Amino acid sequence: MADTKQSGTVRCVIVTPEQTSLDTQARSVTLPLFDGQRGVGRGHSPFIGRLGAGEVRIVGEQGAASDAVRRLFVEGGFVEVGHDTVTVITQRAIPAEKLDAPAARAELEKLAGSRAAGDEAIDARLKAEQAARALVRTATRGG
Amino acid sequence: MAKARALDRRRKSVRNIRKITRTMELIATARFKKAMDRSVAARDYTKHLVKILENIASVGAEVVHPLLEIRPTHKTAVLVLTGNRGLCGGYNSNVVRQAVALLGQWKSEQVPAHVSASGKRGISALRFRGVDLAEKYTSFEDKPEFAAVAPIGKAYLEAYAAGTIDRLDVVYTKFHSIAKQVAITETLLPLAPPNASVGGQASQRASDEYDFYPSAESILEEILPASFLSRLFKCFLDAAVSEQVARMVAMKAATENAGGLIKSLSRQYNRARQSQITGEIMEILGGVEALKK
Repeated sequence: MADTKQSGTVRCVIVTPEQTSLDTQARSVTLPLFDGQRGVGRGHSPFIGRLGAGEVRIVGEQGAASDAVRRLFVEGGFVEVGHDTVTVITQRAIPAEKLDAPAARAELEKLAGSRAAGDEAIDARLKAEQAARALVRTATRGG
Repeated sequence: MAKARALDRRRKSVRNIRKITRTMELIATARFKKAMDRSVAARDYTKHLVKILENIASVGAEVVHPLLEIRPTHKTAVLVLTGNRGLCGGYNSNVVRQAVALLGQWKSEQVPAHVSASGKRGISALRFRGVDLAEKYTSFEDKPEFAAVAPIGKAYLEAYAAGTIDRLDVVYTKFHSIAKQVAITETLLPLAPPNASVGGQASQRASDEYDFYPSAESILEEILPASFLSRLFKCFLDAAVSEQVARMVAMKAATENAGGLIKSLSRQYNRARQSQITGEIMEILGGVEALKK
């Protein structure tokens, strides 16, 4: 409990359907909201937001160097921000170092080559393409 | 001699079987612990989803969504979750019995049912009863993965949205405690309204005052499918845990039975051997008596 009182840190929890994959204290967390990135530190006003596909960046984790960054790829989901906790609720959270860049790029190319007909299919394809693009971006950025 | 030897042989084979059942019990115990841990770890996700749903309900957003609306059932879908393997007591047959009863009910109401089954045991039992299976899954063992369950769930969501099904029932074994698992039918679609448990908590929740990005409605739209998928996943996890418990209990009983059988076979064997020895002594004595004369 003493950890949460420590000034300037925020508790970051990442929950997937299978498990709580991360629970840590950090200086700040950058989230891929549905319409762009948003950084959250301690004392942020509480909100619940929808996530898009992209990377979660956790900066200055406890026990690591103050500028160390841990990056994870998430595909959709939600975030619940409280005064001193950030809870990311997503179906998939993959550590960036475990991503396979060539496979991601191949997936994106395959999507780019595919065709969709009808509003819903086009919507779905667009979404998949955005997710694939975000995946490639996260995978190739290097940590 | 023949009888005693046959008894001994039987005793040996029972001993071997006891070894096997005891090993299976130990394996099931280990798997149960692992499955249980997974099931417990999965609870957090549902808890957080429910918390968000309660928050949405507490700000007074109207909870209206196609997944929540109850419409007359013209076509239904049934998903039956059983194990791939037997030797687990009544685990598979209980689920199959429940499923057959449910299908009979739909049939009597003349509602066509789209039936899918997971687990070889359930698939063959349902086929034997003349049920047409639309989908068969045999890849789920003691560690169902969300990535494997999600496509199944998404297919149901799409079918529900398109109107090809009006209802989804899952027949599986719910895990209450290590001593109690019940085969039940759970209706996953339409989704049960999420705010059933709110009421008294609403005032306390309201103090949190969350903002919603982009809006409560949009989050609701996204969260309901997620909540459905997590519920479906929970069914798979529960089924896996229950299967291991059932196998554990069945194998424990089998091991104990084998012990009893060995005991009674030993007694019979000893008695047969003793009477054989007595017989032989009597024969020898008889021979000696005859030679004396």
